[in-house]
Amino acid sequence: MRLLVVEDDATTGAYITRGLREEGHSVDLVTNGREALIQATSGTYDVLVVDRMLPEIDGMTLVKTLRGAGNHAPILFLTSLGSVEDRISGLNAGGDDYLVKPFAFGELSARVAALARRPHAAEQESVLRAGSLEMDLIARRVTREGQQIDLLPREFAILELLIRRKGRVQTRTMLLESIWDISFDPMTNVVETHISRLRAKVDKPFESELIKTVRGAGYRIDS
Amino acid sequence: MSVRRAFLLRSMPLRLAAALLLLFSVVSLLGLLTSYVYTQRSFEQTLRADLSQDMAGFRAAPSAAALAALVEAEARSTDPERVVLSYFAPNGQHFGNAVVGRDADGYRILSHLPGNPEVTGRYLALTTSLRGGQLTIARGLAQIDVLRDVFVNILVLSLLPTILLVLSGGFILARRGARHVAVISSVLDQLTSGNLQARVGDVTGWSDDLARIAAKVDQMARSQEDTVASLRQVSSDIAHDLKTPIQRVAVHLDDLSQSDDLKGPERAQLDKALTELDGIVSIFHSLLQLAQIESGSPRARFAPVDLTALCQTLCEVYEPSAAEREQTLTFATPDDPVPPIVGDRNLLGQVLANLIENALNHTPKGTRITIALSSGENHVDLSVIDTGPGVPEAERELVLRRLYRLDRSRTTPGNGLGLSLVAGIAQVHGATLHLEDVQGGFGVRLRFPRETAPIT
Repeated sequence: MRLLVVEDDATTGAYITRGLREEGHSVDLVTNGREALIQATSGTYDVLVVDRMLPEIDGMTLVKTLRGAGNHAPILFLTSLGSVEDRISGLNAGGDDYLVKPFAFGELSARVAALARRPHAAEQESVLRAGSLEMDLIARRVTREGQQIDLLPREFAILELLIRRKGRVQTRTMLLESIWDISFDPMTNVVETHISRLRAKVDKPFESELIKTVRGAGYRIDS
Repeated sequence: MSVRRAFLLRSMPLRLAAALLLLFSVVSLLGLLTSYVYTQRSFEQTLRADLSQDMAGFRAAPSAAALAALVEAEARSTDPERVVLSYFAPNGQHFGNAVVGRDADGYRILSHLPGNPEVTGRYLALTTSLRGGQLTIARGLAQIDVLRDVFVNILVLSLLPTILLVLSGGFILARRGARHVAVISSVLDQLTSGNLQARVGDVTGWSDDLARIAAKVDQMARSQEDTVASLRQVSSDIAHDLKTPIQRVAVHLDDLSQSDDLKGPERAQLDKALTELDGIVSIFHSLLQLAQIESGSPRARFAPVDLTALCQTLCEVYEPSAAEREQTLTFATPDDPVPPIVGDRNLLGQVLANLIENALNHTPKGTRITIALSSGENHVDLSVIDTGPGVPEAERELVLRRLYRLDRSRTTPGNGLGLSLVAGIAQVHGATLHLEDVQGGFGVRLRFPRETAPIT
């Protein structure tokens, strides 16, 4: 993927850039809003990672300007402030996702990946498949190798999310946001517990492991 | 509507109008009364003079027979309603148009006219002995009675339009004033509920004093908006300035953890450093959030929140943690549906999360933690109750203070800001926070006002 990172702090900028390059992306790094505007409008990027506080042109104005100019590349905001208010104002300005500093690289990488290939509205399939597993969304039925698996509603939702975003890591916070609609970080292992219950039903009775743990990041189902 | 009417009746213009009207009525009443009394007196004097003159005319008669003839002649052309003439001759014979008699009730006048034996009304009478008989002349006071009616009419005709005019004028002014006061009070409501962009705006056509108050309200709102904006700028600057180095430390620590030649004790120290960093970030976030909540700005985002669903979610989220600690966490589903309250779902979720985490972290194994919801006529109660040791009575005030921790809690996780955050979020929702001993343990209860409609 081609990514543009707009971050004025050299250490953080280098860290993000290095990490994303190691994952095989082509990354351009700029350190102020003006340069970012020029760079973003002259090249085509799959995802933009933008710090909200930038010299010259701040992140919010940059994103508003880009959206106004018809640039629809997905944008991940990096911010120092973590309140809902800032999240909402960032999303209203045209941002697609929001990450509060300090963040772990795994979280950033997972969110960038999620943004790059967002599910399109056309993906209205009623049956989802991953390996030998089949999910009937209408009958709410899950089978693997012809064997029926009974899932609780939350387990079903987690599995559906992981399959819909096949190949991409879902972090703990992403799951908390999508499944439980919680945008703060509760001190609880609810995600781990649900994943392990899900694994006990979906993976344990079978030979191959479907749900993979990505160390320091989250969970993933490969196709 | 009745409240509005009561408000109108108590409004200044209407009260002033009523007071002025009362004053005006009293003055004009006094004036009319004085002139009535004066006119009545002069009427009576005229009547007396007339009576004396009449009497003088009859005195001129030379004999009783002549007097009787004169009375009889005069009586024929005189209406007893107006003037009564009565002469008892020395021989007891009566002449005149009516007889004046007296019984237990007082004087009576009996007319000689057919079909009208008794004449009522007030009279002024003069009686004298003349030529061996007794002559009585009485003049009716009907004129004075008419005069009274005239004065009453004058009073009604002059006062009634004034009353109507003044009252309706006052009412119109009061209504206009009430409308303007309502505009100002709605702006103040919006300002207190966090909408700092609310303004009274155009005040053309308003009364001077209300227009001046409106201008001052707008001026106050502008300065409040500026203050909050600059405060927000300052906190976001501070956040940026502090978060950047924190992020750098996180980057360096992460780089370090990636290296392969870290030995056991070094790795342990690195983990400690990461934990400490998490602590710093958590305190920092909580402080920033407290500042933002205390500015009241979350109110602008308030919407109806279903507490039952929120409690269910949070109970589910923390249930595994409770199980791991060998504690139980349950949500006692309320018997009657609890109405939604007006607030911020995310903040209310954090309140619950904080209360549940507190209960989980500060109670021993085997503790039962219950989330309870109930509603009364004017309130909705949200409680988290545990069977743990509770908080000593003397320290209940203190635990709400920032960064305060009970001695026995020093070793448990937490930054001491949890309950401050709960208190702040409660306050912004207009809720009261109670720490109390309840049946079967210790409870933290939040009492929310049951709102009829969200402020728009």
